[in-house]
Amino acid sequence: MTAARRPDTARPKGRLQARGAGSDTKAAYVFIGPAVIGFTVFVVYPLIRSFYLALTKYNGLSDPIFVGFDNFRRLFTVDPAFWPAMRATAYLVLLYVPLSLAIGLALAVFCNQKFRGVRIVRTMAYLPVVLPAVATITLWKFILNPQVGLMNTILEKLHLPTSQWLASPTMSMPSIVIVMLWGVGSTMIIFLAALQAVPTELYEAAKVDGAGPYSVFFRITMPMISPIMLLQVILQTTAALQTFNQPKILTDGGPGFSTNVLMLSIYKNGFSNLGRIPQLGYASAQVWVLFIVIIAVIALTAKFSSLWTYSDNSAD
Amino acid sequence: MRRSRVIGTTLACAGLLTATACGGSDDGGGTDGPVTVTIMTWESPETNKAIDAALKGFSDPNITVKRLETPGGGYGDKLASLTQAKKLPDIFWCGNDTEQQYTSQGLLVDWTKRVSEGEGDFKAANFVPSAFENWKTADGQMGGIPALLNTYGVWYNADAFEAAGIPVPKAGWSWDEMYDAAGKLAGKNGAKHGLVADQLTAGDGPFTMGMYSLSAGGAAFTDNVNHPTKAEADATYVEGVTKLAAAIKSGAVAPPGYDVSNAPALFSAGKVPMMFGGQWLAAGFQTDKPKVKYGFAPFPQVTTPATLSDSIGYCTPSYTASEEATYKVIEYLSTKVWSAVLPAAPVAPPAYVPTQGSYFDALSKAGQPTVIDTVKADLATEKTTGVRFTTQWASQVADLTTAYWQPILNGKKPVDELQVYVGKVNELIKSNG
Repeated sequence: MTAARRPDTARPKGRLQARGAGSDTKAAYVFIGPAVIGFTVFVVYPLIRSFYLALTKYNGLSDPIFVGFDNFRRLFTVDPAFWPAMRATAYLVLLYVPLSLAIGLALAVFCNQKFRGVRIVRTMAYLPVVLPAVATITLWKFILNPQVGLMNTILEKLHLPTSQWLASPTMSMPSIVIVMLWGVGSTMIIFLAALQAVPTELYEAAKVDGAGPYSVFFRITMPMISPIMLLQVILQTTAALQTFNQPKILTDGGPGFSTNVLMLSIYKNGFSNLGRIPQLGYASAQVWVLFIVIIAVIALTAKFSSLWTYSDNSAD
Repeated sequence: MRRSRVIGTTLACAGLLTATACGGSDDGGGTDGPVTVTIMTWESPETNKAIDAALKGFSDPNITVKRLETPGGGYGDKLASLTQAKKLPDIFWCGNDTEQQYTSQGLLVDWTKRVSEGEGDFKAANFVPSAFENWKTADGQMGGIPALLNTYGVWYNADAFEAAGIPVPKAGWSWDEMYDAAGKLAGKNGAKHGLVADQLTAGDGPFTMGMYSLSAGGAAFTDNVNHPTKAEADATYVEGVTKLAAAIKSGAVAPPGYDVSNAPALFSAGKVPMMFGGQWLAAGFQTDKPKVKYGFAPFPQVTTPATLSDSIGYCTPSYTASEEATYKVIEYLSTKVWSAVLPAAPVAPPAYVPTQGSYFDALSKAGQPTVIDTVKADLATEKTTGVRFTTQWASQVADLTTAYWQPILNGKKPVDELQVYVGKVNELIKSNG
């Protein structure tokens, strides 16, 4: 006796199916509708609008005047603040991203050990992330004050050389990076999750083979968490390219242009303070430059990721 | 059915828009019914409290005055967002630059006619003439009324001068004497630098340095901050910059980038022997009682006195509910409120001359004779220059200043680069008409 027909067990007849394909489609539209509307209103429209504004002279008060690519020309050839802003942004990314990944990973490895009080250590490491950013940054401003700050006071007590910190053109950006690293707990948490997902049998096998801790870390742990490392590189780089709070609160871009990163420059042009008339068209042009830079950095990172990330393709 | 849906949706949207629309009306008409006039200041909580108390004396059955709370540090941000949302209060504190820019954009009520043809004492003739003229735009409009004048000078620690055997600064002292004293005071009693002069080393520095060249018989940095036709750095100006750069190099003067946020506190504690500053610091010193004996001197000079001219005032958006009511409140602020507020908080001399007496009386009672002398000397000084451009493209000049002025003062660029900087500022002036 042969089976004439395979029972249709893969797709149980539910209520939606019983109502036919047309009902399925309508339901799908209803469910995705709010997301599509939200995406269109809050992402697509602002994107198109900002590109239009980037081609205009617009102060937010009177009607935009179309000027073609004049704003971009001014950015690249006239504005004395633009290239320093690009340099400051690049410096910030190059300084912050490797440090945040290294410290975040080191903290995660430390917090992945089994010892008494590990949960308290994890909480302490993550605590700065949940504190209000503006409050902690303002606190750091007092700590790093060259004249009356806690940092220099401690250094003086220890008879160590002090620094001008935020007031020095050379130390201002490293100081900002120090403050940003205060929030490295979020990086640690993601790495910690990745570390705990590494199969224990790999470590057991390595132990049986007599592998040392360095070999275990660089030949098992790092390859296994490399996809998460790629994710972190992209996330941290994107975040660093959009840094605003720290330079705004700590230095407002100074001394000189040393910490005047692109986001801060955009803010200053778009929402000029002290009653200055804003240059929203010009700031929109800067936004598009930043957008293109972010896309390019992510694309390059993804393109070359195969060189250093481990991928288990055996399931394919 | 589809039609009824469209109508329903339209009505709902209209209702929503009505509910969220700004409160001001566009008529700018008279006071036919009860009107609430809103005020926003950037003053300290103490001064605001005194203003509130003084405003209680305003009596008009059809006008209610309400002051809006504003965080002092966030005033600029709040002003910018209220401007773009078209929800500015009827009266808001504004600087000369805001008034010039907003008026040229058609955002403010033009008070020219009312104040020039006003009845009683509240009229143009009773204002400090220079302050009044500076509030007029190129086409003669006046989007605000000047309220208070800012005067500037040098705050000094008399104890430190005495300990170092240096005569205290007084009217007529020279720039060389100032740098010389700063050099002698630097590094003593916890003072790293002898002079903190943010006005010279930060964004407004090029304008402040104009005092040096003006005093030496040369030209200020620009011919007019409101309607400039040129910027220049003549030989006397270059001489002034060269001396400043040398004083910074020697450590006598704090370099660009020096954190000035704590300078008044450090001055009070005796760790800053001299600092450039405005007369408004006197009100704070009166409350905080510095540990040191201090004084306020006019800016130094080369041959003749020169100083900065600056004023703040009240602005009113063109969409105010009632021009009439708002003007009545402005008149009350100028003629009555400051007379009541200044005795408790002597922040600045009023631009409306009849009330200036209360300011000087308050300083006299507080035992601040040097402040009185310096403010009076400042107001009487004929050679003045504005503190910064008030033009719409002023922020572009600020970027050029950061790129050239500060590196020149720090010795990272030669003083010759001043001419490159001035050339670029002139390009901006030319391209913006």
